[in-house]
Amino acid sequence: MARSYDTHPDNYRLEPDYSIMPNRKFNACPECDLLLNQAVPEIGEKALCPRCGYLLYRPRKQSIERTFALSIAGLIIIFPANLLPLIGIRLLGNSHDGTLWSGVAGLFNEGMWAVAALVFMSSILFPLTNIMLSLLISAHLYFNKPNRRLGSWMRWLQHLDEWAMLEVYALGIIVACVKLASTADLKLGFGLYAFVALLLITAMLASSLDSYLFWQRIARLRRHES
Amino acid sequence: MSHNATALAQGLTRCHNCGHLSKQTRRPRQCPVCGSHLHARMPHSVQRTTALLLSSYALYIPANIFPIMTVTQLGVTEQHTILGGIIALIDKDMMPIAILVLVASILVPLLKLLGLSLLLLNVHYRWQSNARLWTRMYRVIVFVGRWSMLDIFMISILVAVVDLGGISQVIAGPASTAFAAVVVLTMFAAKSFDPRLIWDNQLE
Repeated sequence: MARSYDTHPDNYRLEPDYSIMPNRKFNACPECDLLLNQAVPEIGEKALCPRCGYLLYRPRKQSIERTFALSIAGLIIIFPANLLPLIGIRLLGNSHDGTLWSGVAGLFNEGMWAVAALVFMSSILFPLTNIMLSLLISAHLYFNKPNRRLGSWMRWLQHLDEWAMLEVYALGIIVACVKLASTADLKLGFGLYAFVALLLITAMLASSLDSYLFWQRIARLRRHES
Repeated sequence: MSHNATALAQGLTRCHNCGHLSKQTRRPRQCPVCGSHLHARMPHSVQRTTALLLSSYALYIPANIFPIMTVTQLGVTEQHTILGGIIALIDKDMMPIAILVLVASILVPLLKLLGLSLLLLNVHYRWQSNARLWTRMYRVIVFVGRWSMLDIFMISILVAVVDLGGISQVIAGPASTAFAAVVVLTMFAAKSFDPRLIWDNQLE
């Protein structure tokens, strides 16, 4: 059924038929493997794969500086967003507040440890590690400090990016508020404002991080080191 | 476009992490820039995707049958399934939110399961048309995957906020574990599918 390309011996017998040296002049589309000349778009332009339409590269303005600044801001705002109450309810004279953390603890206490772990990772742990990794990488690139772990930090950042789901959590808060508004008095906590700020910062962080530029700078630092 | 226009046909491998192109060698090797293991195509892409997809199909059934949360209000206990929660929202005249939850927790997982199955069939039977459209469908599946977590996050917030002892309480039900597993497994399934396989099968 499946054809595993990297184990099939035929694939290694192919000789390159013209003088392609694996260098920065060439690029391959990650989704259709078309061999392309490395496009160098200006800021504001983007390079698309001519065959499948994949967004190959969109350079960002002041990518390293902005990533550095935004990750510091994110690291500050993530604490109030996690620790202060997001929303609270008042019902028949009783009131109760909920934080990001108390939702995880509540699920855990009900025996739903798998769901609790998933919510913890996607709303607290991975956003935090993403911000920390962006801070570490951009700080090293900003101050031109080589570090042999830069590559693996960048890999982790790219893989964890998908699992930090703050924007989905924000939508969950909206749906929960609508559900609660019909039965109880809602009050919005300060943590909610911090959460919205964190959401904006992480969205800006994701769009300011130019991974092509970052990998190039990491490779250059590595060459200088050796 | 000739068939040997791909990096694979020219003996080159793109690093899936940093995008560096390396010459293929007989032995598996590591990327000179970032140290990742190099693979021309994702290893065992079809097998992994199939396995993850079958597990998701299996878990999709308990996720929809069992209650996803139990709501106690003034001594009255109600159990909601995913569909039941949406019907309750429609009854309270909250159509936009009901549609939002319907899309995120029923349509998106279902379309993801069916879409990935179609992609696997496409690769297996080497369908010859519209590779660009199939690739676009793959991108949509990858993009929408995470939004199904909406229901899980909403339950987490309700559990945190609605905790007033006997007056009002929300408890997560057994379906929430199954549903969360469906979301995570389909995300992994989409990640392990290699869209380049669609293009490798095109005969031009």
